[in-house]
Amino acid sequence: MTEPPGGTGGSRARRAPGEEEAVGSWFELVAPRTLVDRSPRIRLPLSLGDEVFVAAGDSVQPGLLLAERLRHAHLEEHGRRGQPFGHEKQITVAGHEWFITGGQRHPLESPATGIVRSVDPTAGLAIDVSGNALHGVLAVGGPSRGRLEIATGADGELRPAAVDVGRAGTILVVGSRVAAETLTRARAMGVRGVIVGALSGKDQRDFEASERRQRASVHHLASFAVLVLDGVLRRPISSPVMKLLETLEGSEVAIVGDPPALLFQDPKGRIPEAPPGWVRARSGPMAGREGHWLGPAGQRRFGAAMHLEAGFVRFGEGAPTPVPLADLERLV
Amino acid sequence: MTSDPRAFFTLDLGAATTAAALVGNVQGSWRLLGSLALPATIDREAILQLLLRRVREAAPAEIVAETELPEAAADVGRLVARTTPPPTIAVIAATDARRVSLGTVADRAGWRVRGGSLDRGDRLDLLRTALDPAVEAVLVGAADPPLTDERARLEDLQALADAITERRPNLPVVLAGSVAGSITGSTMGSAGPAIPGPAVPGALVGVPALEAEKPEGGERLFAPAPNTGDPPGSALTAFLLGMRARSDDARQGVARSTSSLAAVTDRHVETLEIGFEAGLRAAAWPAPDEPGGVAILSAESVAAALFPAEADEQTVDAVLAWSTLPIDRTRLRDRLRELRLWPWADAQGDGALLRLASARVAVARLMTVTPAVSAHAAADLVIAAGGVWSAAPGSAVALALADVRRRPGACQMAVDHARLLGPLGTIEDEGERRQLLDDLRDDLLLPIGSVVLAQGVRPGRTGGRVAVRSNGDSTERDLVPGTLEIVDVPPGQLAQAEFEFREPVLVGTRGKRFAIEVSGGLAGLLVDLRDIPLRLPDRAERRRDVLADWQRPLWPGIEP
Repeated sequence: MTEPPGGTGGSRARRAPGEEEAVGSWFELVAPRTLVDRSPRIRLPLSLGDEVFVAAGDSVQPGLLLAERLRHAHLEEHGRRGQPFGHEKQITVAGHEWFITGGQRHPLESPATGIVRSVDPTAGLAIDVSGNALHGVLAVGGPSRGRLEIATGADGELRPAAVDVGRAGTILVVGSRVAAETLTRARAMGVRGVIVGALSGKDQRDFEASERRQRASVHHLASFAVLVLDGVLRRPISSPVMKLLETLEGSEVAIVGDPPALLFQDPKGRIPEAPPGWVRARSGPMAGREGHWLGPAGQRRFGAAMHLEAGFVRFGEGAPTPVPLADLERLV
Repeated sequence: MTSDPRAFFTLDLGAATTAAALVGNVQGSWRLLGSLALPATIDREAILQLLLRRVREAAPAEIVAETELPEAAADVGRLVARTTPPPTIAVIAATDARRVSLGTVADRAGWRVRGGSLDRGDRLDLLRTALDPAVEAVLVGAADPPLTDERARLEDLQALADAITERRPNLPVVLAGSVAGSITGSTMGSAGPAIPGPAVPGALVGVPALEAEKPEGGERLFAPAPNTGDPPGSALTAFLLGMRARSDDARQGVARSTSSLAAVTDRHVETLEIGFEAGLRAAAWPAPDEPGGVAILSAESVAAALFPAEADEQTVDAVLAWSTLPIDRTRLRDRLRELRLWPWADAQGDGALLRLASARVAVARLMTVTPAVSAHAAADLVIAAGGVWSAAPGSAVALALADVRRRPGACQMAVDHARLLGPLGTIEDEGERRQLLDDLRDDLLLPIGSVVLAQGVRPGRTGGRVAVRSNGDSTERDLVPGTLEIVDVPPGQLAQAEFEFREPVLVGTRGKRFAIEVSGGLAGLLVDLRDIPLRLPDRAERRRDVLADWQRPLWPGIEP
């Protein structure tokens, strides 16, 4: 199977300047990725000992207190102390009575408007959001709400010094990558979240460790979340996603962890769409480049003598370039 | 399958990639007409349509007519196998040692294990572990009879089992060993009726029936103790395997096909399947006393995942040890995490090398966790199955297998390149499956070479000589201890390899002279006189050089 099927010939030719190029055949061979998910279901974690204030079927709005989460929870047998005191909840485990006790309680607020679908102290709180979601691959921390602000371009990187208290209350779009130092400074400056193309493993570990230390302190901290759109290795935020974020600039958005997503209401303008035939090399040597799909290229030889199924992509005004299908994505 | 259709698709729906193959009946026997593998996120109908179109364009008109290939993929029947992520089981035990042994048993049955013990962590932690939304079953176990430190805590284990059932009534709770015994005899309380677990036929760790009896939610399942069976734990493994058996399970399909291949080839066959989420090792050999004339041992393990969910320090070290890339730990960890997110991507260049390094680690782990399979005689035919092998050059796969499968003896190696073993293993009728595999065996297995591995060659200038005779040609080589000799024997060709060692060595049996019939492959014949187990230099640069020296002749076209 080394020959490509037909159907690509016409579209491989160079086009005249300004002429719109037709979408090549077999576009469905490019892995799809959803740009905007309508009415997503999100899940917020709960645990034994948490106090829940909503029930299935309740409507919720951003900022509504959903539950109070108990920190450092542990069991204490009934009768060990004379009287239970604050922040304690009595549960029965197989006929034995226990108190779940712990430290302070922290509020869990609704990140978005929606309807509570289920409440289970073990499985969490499920909410059907009346809004939209832009999915990422990972979220750290959260849930968190704030006003969206674009801090850098799609390929940029935000330095710690660029974050000041003026950005308090915002969720920042910070480009292709972010360092742990920038994240910790942003949290300290009152920023509510960060949206980034990629987060390296080291930066993630460093930030999570810092987050744990901060959360272990006595004081209640405002929530902070990081949404990673693409992965671990640096690449720019794709142009359709960047356009969407620009459309949302200034509006209230939220970051949630399950699934990792940015929640938003319909923007004033139309939600932007990817141009017809738009594809992006998500991985491989051309990671981050965007182009136009021309059609399948059959099996092609690539680096390390690997023969992979490929497709022709025109990057900019260049000649058609074969790219492994497995490295490409399109937005739907 | 019936004999009516003239062609059908096989689909192996993996966690990372979808592999499709088109099989047609040509002159009375089934033949592989074409195959294709693409990322799992791509619409499978598009994949099938592209495959069908290519076959129709490339195949001779008489074959298209004879197999009655239609134009639309929707008009062609399908045989589908799928790999789902391993379900999670929470293991709860009285002691840490028992938690580990129960976890090992559950892992062999293909469960992803998390757990805790009363030794460490309080009851709330254990409850949380069991009640996590990701958990699909709970295993509470103790030996039968219980050990001293378990006996005093049986009541606590019962209480925990009750508490779990109270809070998640639909969660199956498996009570193994003396925990089951004590509950049967005392407090079932509100926990619901107790039923025996699913019946699973099979030997040591056999292959479950296509559709085992599934537990209903909220039921308590009484399972064998973790110390019963031969070897201990095998009865519980079979029980847990039965709990998650599905008729279209690709991994168990591979195990069934391995058994059928052993029957039709009359050889000892071993399959090493490496998947994105887990791996499988299955060994089958002719055994006239067994039902169907074949005995089989198989085990799965999440530890043998190609890209583990969390690339811990051990995994990073292990992949680094096999990598020929000059890459630091931080960067390697990021590459592994990226491959975990997009497992089908970046399959060229460094990504290809990284994949095979990870695959070596996965195979090594699979071999480590399946000592029962290793205890049996070495296989005549070793099959590499799974997407990672089918994308890589065959000769490089042969080297990867030889690197980590260090068993003295001779064997042929092959790759399930079109990923047919899983789908064919879903055919219920054993006779029909064997017939199909018999027809397809020359097509479905890509011969990648033979390896002769000698143990006990003393260091020195020469260990002897080998003469390889084939089609009237003869090739002679010195046997140099510590080296890997490659003798060209093309795929499909048989050769006679005559070894003459200076000192007695172990090649299946101990001796100085051996005459072994070997079959060719993409890598030819590998005469492997390297250490068993393989010892690599400690210094990273030197180690990479050694690995690259072995790899270069077997991976043509690779950049230096």
